[in-house]
Amino acid sequence: MIWVIASATMRESIRSKAFLGLLALYLVAVLLSRIAGWISGTDGDVVTTSIVFSLQSIFGVLVAVATGTALVQTEIQQKTLYTILSRPVKRWHFVLGKFLGLSGSLIAGQVIMVLIGLVYLRATGAQVTGWALLAGLLTMLEVLVMASVSLCWTALTTPLVAVALCLATYALGHAVGELPNLLYHLHGVKLLLCSALAALVPDLSRFVYRDLALHQIPITAADLAGRVVYGLLWISLFVTITTVVFRRKQL
Amino acid sequence: MPGMTSAPVLTFTNVSFTYRGDWLNRIHALKRVDLSVPRGSAYGFLGANGAGKSTSIKLAMGLLHGHKGDITLLGEPIGDHRLRARVGFLPEQPFFYDNLAVGEYLAYLGHLSGLHGGTLSAAIERVYQLLDLGDLRARKLGSFSKGMRQRFGLAQAILHRPDLLVLDEPFSGLDPLWRARFKEVMALERTRGATLFFSSHILSDIEDLCDSYCVIDHGEVLEQGRLADLLGQAPLQLTASGAPAAGATVAPDGTWQLTFPESRRAEVLGALPPGAVLRLERQRIALEDYFVNRVKAHHGAGTRLGGES
Repeated sequence: MIWVIASATMRESIRSKAFLGLLALYLVAVLLSRIAGWISGTDGDVVTTSIVFSLQSIFGVLVAVATGTALVQTEIQQKTLYTILSRPVKRWHFVLGKFLGLSGSLIAGQVIMVLIGLVYLRATGAQVTGWALLAGLLTMLEVLVMASVSLCWTALTTPLVAVALCLATYALGHAVGELPNLLYHLHGVKLLLCSALAALVPDLSRFVYRDLALHQIPITAADLAGRVVYGLLWISLFVTITTVVFRRKQL
Repeated sequence: MPGMTSAPVLTFTNVSFTYRGDWLNRIHALKRVDLSVPRGSAYGFLGANGAGKSTSIKLAMGLLHGHKGDITLLGEPIGDHRLRARVGFLPEQPFFYDNLAVGEYLAYLGHLSGLHGGTLSAAIERVYQLLDLGDLRARKLGSFSKGMRQRFGLAQAILHRPDLLVLDEPFSGLDPLWRARFKEVMALERTRGATLFFSSHILSDIEDLCDSYCVIDHGEVLEQGRLADLLGQAPLQLTASGAPAAGATVAPDGTWQLTFPESRRAEVLGALPPGAVLRLERQRIALEDYFVNRVKAHHGAGTRLGGES
């Protein structure tokens, strides 16, 4: 049941205008990235490669937020879910199927982005190593975490507010990685409180390996596994919250 | 009435439901509703806009939670989601995924209803034929008009040959030709053994299709029963010759007419000499007028109809 819903969701979101439009925009942005390389003068290839990697993250998150927030709210507002939930489908089947379908389309989008990026970088003569693929994998995980965030916010609030909260979560998620450096002067309860509040937001900087990959600085298998488990735990938490909220939702 | 037995397929017993808005603005959509849909019947659910029809249907389909009272579906409490494999549902003004084609959408929903392989293919072909969707199988639903969406909606509802077909305003957005076709398809489904439960405020549709009915207003059931019993309450009209009875209207040709209730049949006819009766027929109740008068009588003339309060 879950896979049937996931499969239909994936087909629907891959064919959506938001998904295809953002992929097209990504392509344009990648082509324009060379301009930044020219402007930088020295290390133009490195700058171009860094921008291409960053674009994968930015556009991946945009696709996740755009399709993720539209996914459940459109179902509720347009009542498309009536014909699904009036069948022998449990609500948690529906939420999990939706998330897996969304994840499938995002992974497909990320693979396309990585391929476009690699082909472009090769064509422009930039050096790309295997570490770059690993960076791409971690970016993909970051995008999946953001997909689960968008699904969760959408279940809790309106689409517009959900988009704003998703982008705020993205910004905070990248900021919390820097927090330990900012809290050096705090002690005791204050430090504990600030650390506890920071722990409520997924630390998205853990998925940023692209800058290190650019300079071919290796990552250990244990470190990689730790980051993957961290991402999967956050995804599980957000999908669980979404399921609990959705189970009680009046449709 | 094919396959009609006394066992109900859907019952509401003392069901109340309140929409949780903010706490100062709660909407009491249903108030102690009792209704019973007999198996094999075609049950018309009548009510003005906002009377509580869609809320009742959503509760029956498990789309709303938190009601008071008991609801049973196919003889079981509605909590068991597996029961819904035996129910087909057409929501009011249905929307579907824009980017899926008719064929793949039907396959998707068929899978969710437990159909697979050859059974699923045969079921899809059946609804293609019934609703003329075969030529549209590769077309995406985003390009469909309101009427076409309604056709697809009925197709997905009957796809898995449900025992109970719940249709919320099924004729909405249809042209006269498709209204007629929908009635044919619904009649076919009933012949197959399905029970029809549908809401409408177009009373001629109820008259054409239903044998049972329920009138709901402001979340309360005003009355329910067999349509034949309601129509049987219509007065009789007698045309006779000879000496006119008291209160009769005499025509220029010497015949006279008298209208009287069913309860006076024996008295009126017994007083006539043999051969005096030329014609005796039951007057037709205009269901439209009956419904409006019934609702107005409940709330007092001039009050607004419907409106969840």
